[in-house]
Amino acid sequence: MPRIAGVDVPDKKPIRYALRYIYGIGPKFADDILTESGIDAAKRAKDLTGEEISRINSIIDAGFIVEGTLRRQVQQNIQRLRDIRCYRGERHRRGLPVRGQRTRTNARTRKGKKKTVAGKKGVKG
Amino acid sequence: MPRSLKKGPYVVESLYLKVVRMNESGSRQPIKTWARRCTIVPEFVGHTFKVHNGRMFMDVFVTEDMVGHKLGEFSPTRFFRGHTNKKEGIKARR
Repeated sequence: MPRIAGVDVPDKKPIRYALRYIYGIGPKFADDILTESGIDAAKRAKDLTGEEISRINSIIDAGFIVEGTLRRQVQQNIQRLRDIRCYRGERHRRGLPVRGQRTRTNARTRKGKKKTVAGKKGVKG
Repeated sequence: MPRSLKKGPYVVESLYLKVVRMNESGSRQPIKTWARRCTIVPEFVGHTFKVHNGRMFMDVFVTEDMVGHKLGEFSPTRFFRGHTNKKEGIKARR
């Protein structure tokens, strides 16, 4: 299994798809990297030579923010919103949707599993 | 979708001029304002605004990080006080 950009070990799949297992690399960046390196996109990840892998690695190092660095960056952006106590930061703190979605129903991704409240439906109060 | 760059940030003219005047005279009094929609520009940093939230004026001290946000983002218009307890009823609210 080739190691690209640190700990990632995609395998068996064409390198074009295997690269997407790296956090921060999607369809667009995977193709960009392969065009830049001149490697056949359909080649399986396990068939890559050591030289090709190091070429991919150097391209990612030079021009892409991936994995830990990217995760930290995202976290810092959120932390900034929290620190200046603006509306969006407040929503992050509360664990509610940030972009103005409804919360009367749905919003389960942010709010987590349903907490049933007795007597909520039907008669009010 | 963000605002077109061609237009530049939306800044309430009168408020901006007031801040510029205050910067010149070096005065640092809180500025009462209703202009929640006004973008915070670098000139605002260090000033305190009293931003109206529909009921009262909330103190907003502008720091460098806030540049690019709107004044209204820092003056919440709703306050969640928790759900009513069934036994205590609606009276306990507020």
